[in-house]
Amino acid sequence: MAKRSVWSDNRFWQRSAAWVTGFASILLIWLTFDTIPQITMGTDADLKGGVTKRVPGPTVINYKITYEMDAKRMHEIPVIGDKELFFGRDDWSEEEAGALLHLGKLGSQAKNCMDCHTLLGNGAYYAPDLTKAWLDPAWGPEGSMQAMTGKSTKEEAMAEFLQHPSTYPTHARMMPDLGITAEEAKGLVAFLKHMSSIDTNGFPRNFGRMQGAVNGK
Amino acid sequence: MASSLTSESKKLATWYFTFAAIIFGAQLLFGLVAAIQYVVPGFLFELLDFSIARILHINALVVWMVFAMFGSVYWLLPDETGIETVGIGIAKLLYWIFVAAIVVVILVYLFIQVGPADQTTIWFITEGREYLEAPRWADIGIVVVALGFVFNLYATGMKGNRSGIVTVLMADMLAFAGLYLAGMGYTDNISMDQYWWWWVIHLWVEATWEVFVGAIAAYGLITMIGAHRKVVEMWLWIEVAMLFGSGILGIGHHYFWIGTPEYWWEIGALFSALEPLPLVAMFIHVLYDWGKMQGEQEAKGEAKSVITNKPAFTWFVLNAFGNFLGAGIWGFFHTLPQVNLYTHGTQFTSAHGHLAFFGAYATILIGMFYLAVQGKNGIKVMHATKKSIWATSMIVGGVVGMTIALTVAGYVQVLVSRAQMGATWAGFFDGQSGMWFAQGMDWRLVMGVITFLGFLILVVDLLSIGKNAKHER
Amino acid sequence: MIDPVIVASTGIALDDFLPIFIYSTLVLVFGGFYVGIYTAVKVKVLKNWTMPLAYVFWLLTSFSLYKMGSLMHINEFTAKALVIAMIGYLLLPHAIYYMQDHVHEENEHEPESI
Repeated sequence: MAKRSVWSDNRFWQRSAAWVTGFASILLIWLTFDTIPQITMGTDADLKGGVTKRVPGPTVINYKITYEMDAKRMHEIPVIGDKELFFGRDDWSEEEAGALLHLGKLGSQAKNCMDCHTLLGNGAYYAPDLTKAWLDPAWGPEGSMQAMTGKSTKEEAMAEFLQHPSTYPTHARMMPDLGITAEEAKGLVAFLKHMSSIDTNGFPRNFGRMQGAVNGK
Repeated sequence: MASSLTSESKKLATWYFTFAAIIFGAQLLFGLVAAIQYVVPGFLFELLDFSIARILHINALVVWMVFAMFGSVYWLLPDETGIETVGIGIAKLLYWIFVAAIVVVILVYLFIQVGPADQTTIWFITEGREYLEAPRWADIGIVVVALGFVFNLYATGMKGNRSGIVTVLMADMLAFAGLYLAGMGYTDNISMDQYWWWWVIHLWVEATWEVFVGAIAAYGLITMIGAHRKVVEMWLWIEVAMLFGSGILGIGHHYFWIGTPEYWWEIGALFSALEPLPLVAMFIHVLYDWGKMQGEQEAKGEAKSVITNKPAFTWFVLNAFGNFLGAGIWGFFHTLPQVNLYTHGTQFTSAHGHLAFFGAYATILIGMFYLAVQGKNGIKVMHATKKSIWATSMIVGGVVGMTIALTVAGYVQVLVSRAQMGATWAGFFDGQSGMWFAQGMDWRLVMGVITFLGFLILVVDLLSIGKNAKHER
Repeated sequence: MIDPVIVASTGIALDDFLPIFIYSTLVLVFGGFYVGIYTAVKVKVLKNWTMPLAYVFWLLTSFSLYKMGSLMHINEFTAKALVIAMIGYLLLPHAIYYMQDHVHEENEHEPESI
């Protein structure tokens, strides 16, 4: 038997595979420990103190949100501005806002939203991406949806649409009636508003801005 | 049907393959419903909406592949370990539990569809997270079944002869079952939700499933062309190193836009660029071994082919090529963050999904179906029939056609909906109304029908090929 | 006001999308030809003189990747990652062949044990 080269030795490759896998796994776990705190939801105190969080706390629904180009990061980021009424109030407490967001997130799963829409770009491609849906001009004062649903605010127009989607067709492809109650619709709108405040590294790019909104004013 | 199988493990494998093939059919059927809805939006509106058709389409995909994967392991265990699978009684019981659970889940998807926004829906109707919609009771059931399967595998591997292939499978299947746990929780934080969700989806599909394919391909090369075990197993270890080395951190390409920090751009870009390499390597390896073995045969003065199962080997070669084409090419061209910013969540993803799942997994699992048919009928050398050739051509042609159609549609969507209109509601529908997009969807449906017809021929072939007199017995 | 230079330096021009997709596809298609021809020559399916063609395809692969990267305005880190990937790609089939050949040779001198 001729001398064996290490390159054709199974044990060598078996060990290499174990080492490479172990190393990659440890790196992933280490990066996870770094990422998790960064994507943990902020608090009401953070919002009041102007602390920027990648995922703000639920009380972000009390504030105006815009999507602005950041010269340093060279892409758009959500900017949290002044107070703004949400279903007639801008003083949703941490518990109330949290409960609303909880209802909305559960609702988004219970109604299988992700199997037509994309959330943060993930899901199905049959219906529009909802990542920044809250900031969509279609729902703003200049858009068509408030007039169509007969409501005077964005959140009420959205909630009305969610409850009776097939009454307000916007395209041959319609959203079906999913039995969404008034309370669930409110929660879903809170969920959408919260999602629009997440720092998604500029995704989606060039998202249609609300008319006249600069720096959250 | 008279069976020449003496191994209980192999008999169980054929049960797994049978149920897998049925669910495969369901997957294609609901895929067709969804494809029709793109063309005729009113089709089954508020009866079986797109969301439900798609849940069934993608869940059936995962289920049939998992069934076929479990079946493949039960099939090869007796060959690899030289003994009967340990705990075969439990394995059979778990099979029936698994089948029953899947049937209940499918019926609930079909007839209950959605629930109120509370935890009972999450527990009993749907979890509403793409691919992982299965309600939590089913999650727990799946974990129990998977643990039972892993137990069978470990007990058999440790009692019998633990070959390299079995060792890889033991490690891989444990990770496969364990990772599922990452997808079972609930959180109000959508970024956190998707962070863990990808641990299941990505680490399954781009890591543990790929390694599984490597192991099955190794087994196939040994059984079908008589490749040298030592060569094949050494190569398998190299593949494991390359696949896990690039695949585990390749998860970064899913963390570009979900709220996670910007450093994932660099990590995702680097490891995504490396991800095609193992796929290329797997492709070359199959060709090397085939060339070598045929060369050895011819050196002995025998001109006949070394392949003992033509249809299965065809599917294995298609796998090596399809993995490279679907996961490699279609994955690579939209994986770098600069382009992914525009392509993320468009029909490009869908095109890649279709070709990659088919090329990387469906092909090799269909190959395993043919291996099982060969074993069950006690055939020494199995030849292709006209039906196997038709089925293969139609399925491959159909899926490639769908992929091209979806790619064209995706290109329109990137330009119109994303680059020009910035992904708003109006932008989305402007893109969807484009002529090229609509044409793309028409062609996707046509190609989907061809795929489905090919599947029907495949089923007929699988049921009849064993009785054909042309094989060497 | 957004500085137009910043927008131009990060975004992809509308006309550049098609070439980007084509170049990135060509990267792997040419790459496939490179390893394909290399492998075919080594297992003697193709004649030896076709080997230089394999390296021509590797050059084409690198060129496509370069075009793709520059159209995308990739940053320095990604550029480095791609250069490393290309060198790796050049070496990959050589390494595979070297190892395969080695093991096969050892195998032919010992009884097959399964």
